[in-house]
Amino acid sequence: MPVTSRRGGKLAYKILFWFLLISLAPMGLVGYHLINISQASLRKETLAMQESLAVGFADTVYKYVTTFKNVLTETSGLEDFAGMNPIKQQQYLNRIMQVHLAVLELSVVNAQGVEVLRTGRFLSASPEMRKFTTDEFFNETMTRGQYVGKLERFQGLYPALTIAVGIMDPKAASPKPVGVLEGKISLNGLSSMLSMEFPPAGKSAAAVVAPDGFLIAHSNPKEVYKPDARLSDDVLKIITTQMNDKGGGEIQLPDGSKLLGAYSDVKDLGWVVYVQQPLETAYQTAAEMRTQILRVLVWVVIFVFLLSWAVAGFISQPIRVLREAADRLGKGQFEDLPEIMMTNDEIGELAQTFLTMSDSLREKTGELIHAKGELEKYGKDLQRRVEARTRELKAAQDELIKKERLAAMGQMASVVGHEIRNPLAVINNSIYFIKTKLGPVLEGEQKIAKHIKIIESEIQGANDIINQILDYARDRQLKLERVSLNAWVDDLLGAYPFPAHIRVEKSLTPVNPTVEIDVAEMKQAVRNLIGNGIEVMPPPQGGAVRIRTGIADDGSAVIEVGDTGPGIPADVREKLFTAFFTTKARGTGLGLAVVRKVMDRHRGRVELDSAVGKGTIFRLFLPQAAAPK
Amino acid sequence: MAGKLPKLLIIDDDAHLRESLAEVLELDGFECHQAGDAGKGISEAGKVNPDVVIMDIQLPDSSGFQICQELRKRSKTTILIMMTGRFLSAEEKKQGFELGADEYITKPFDLAELSVRIKQLLSRNKV
Repeated sequence: MPVTSRRGGKLAYKILFWFLLISLAPMGLVGYHLINISQASLRKETLAMQESLAVGFADTVYKYVTTFKNVLTETSGLEDFAGMNPIKQQQYLNRIMQVHLAVLELSVVNAQGVEVLRTGRFLSASPEMRKFTTDEFFNETMTRGQYVGKLERFQGLYPALTIAVGIMDPKAASPKPVGVLEGKISLNGLSSMLSMEFPPAGKSAAAVVAPDGFLIAHSNPKEVYKPDARLSDDVLKIITTQMNDKGGGEIQLPDGSKLLGAYSDVKDLGWVVYVQQPLETAYQTAAEMRTQILRVLVWVVIFVFLLSWAVAGFISQPIRVLREAADRLGKGQFEDLPEIMMTNDEIGELAQTFLTMSDSLREKTGELIHAKGELEKYGKDLQRRVEARTRELKAAQDELIKKERLAAMGQMASVVGHEIRNPLAVINNSIYFIKTKLGPVLEGEQKIAKHIKIIESEIQGANDIINQILDYARDRQLKLERVSLNAWVDDLLGAYPFPAHIRVEKSLTPVNPTVEIDVAEMKQAVRNLIGNGIEVMPPPQGGAVRIRTGIADDGSAVIEVGDTGPGIPADVREKLFTAFFTTKARGTGLGLAVVRKVMDRHRGRVELDSAVGKGTIFRLFLPQAAAPK
Repeated sequence: MAGKLPKLLIIDDDAHLRESLAEVLELDGFECHQAGDAGKGISEAGKVNPDVVIMDIQLPDSSGFQICQELRKRSKTTILIMMTGRFLSAEEKKQGFELGADEYITKPFDLAELSVRIKQLLSRNKV
């Protein structure tokens, strides 16, 4: 089983997928909206904050200028000052210069426009007095009582502002100024204040700009000291085209960078306070918040994923176990099935069904295996029986062939025998007639008598041969008798006419088996063997015929007939039992064929053991008779 | 049986055998007649009325046993001797005896023995 399917399985993945879809999709949607809303509100707030910074600073700028105007107004309104006593006025001016460091110069101009007092930080002790009869600030002040000038560059460098107030005589009936108190104040203080609020190292920047775009103050004071210091036209264009006195928004610069800018008009002065910071800085909080939310979302996803994984695994675990068990069942392994959990649900029911099925399957398989075994047993038995039957049939066929052959031979022998016996009978009759007719004559004719005897002998010989052949071919019924083997052999040997040159050596088994034999046929067989033995041991040397009885290893009774003759060459042994095969000069070749036939008919066998030069032993094996009933 | 020779009929298809046997038995004092087949044998027997009939079991026109049966019907005393050139089974022999045969002889015959046997059978009939 592959490792992957063992761990997960498709079902687990499906559950996981749907679980994630159901749980994460709404959360993702909510998260998305949350981020959008928070982003929008955060940006709006950031912009509002920036606007309020601009407004607040516009107020500061206004107060900065107003403070100086008030100082001048208060001073000019003093009785001592209105008396136009130069010494006293000089004291006041000195005092102002000491207290307010931003004041660069102070002048007192009389009603005629001639400068009467002049003191300044960069002036000599007795500076040159100027005439302001036609100057705008003098005429404006003389008619309207005060004057706030436009941006100017003190000594061509510092942004400065001219403020003038009328010197009113409190005792005079008509409020007509008796002179003008004019002061030039440095606006560097504004830059310092801006730089404190917006440090130059930071990313935010703020500026106070005149309507024509010139910089009055900047959070980075160096900007202000540049000759012709102006706010960039791109920003200026946006600010100057706004209808409201305050506002803000995102600005896209031609170089591609984005800014968040806010502005506020400074009351009465016509100046604009402008605050800017790069968009990414401005929205840093929003970005951080978004990151934070996203991080939380990721954690939630991971958590939900792991939880789903665990749940899916938990749900699919029993099914997986079931499948594993089913796999094993499929392979025919009924033992060591994985333990199946019986949960109280549909899976539990499935497991129950599965167990029932596996039991039934085990039972059925057992039956099948048993049946297969039986079948194999029957098959083997059948095969054995078929083989045995085939052997029997083969034996029967062989027997039949042998019988047919014998029958054919019998047929032939019968015909031949009859046809030869007839002429033999005729010859026999004729010679008998001659012998009888000649009678006493023959006594004088010895040679005729001898020849008649020869003819009679040959007729007898021919008749013997015919008898042998007919005997062999004859199909007569066996007449079985129970005999004691030793006694039977004893009788046979006793009746056999052994010639003098033959020794008879007899050795009979003490077991003395009982056999069922056709006495006449068996006698013929044994006599044939003895006769053969005697024939191969002719006089004068002769030899021994050894007769033994015994029991073979397979339980058969054995009759051994041995001789001490020349032995039988191996190439001859095979044909020895074939009918009409003979090694003798005269002989039918039926002696051993008869032996074999007799043994076959007795369900026994004949074996031959011969050593050339030493002798031959024939063994007749006969089944022992069953115990009598 | 003064002057009257016992009559003997030989039935065989082999003329040499017939003649040689007849002449041998004539030497022993029998009056021998011959027939070459069953039909002639039956008619010859009817004419001669033999004391002894020697017949072959196999004849061209019939079985020797059939003649044996026929002859036995005609005479109970006639001695019937069957000749054969082959082995007869016990069953065949038994059948032959039932049909009336008195003796079997196998070719070639021991003629001296045959002659004695016939004479013995004849003398028994006389008694």
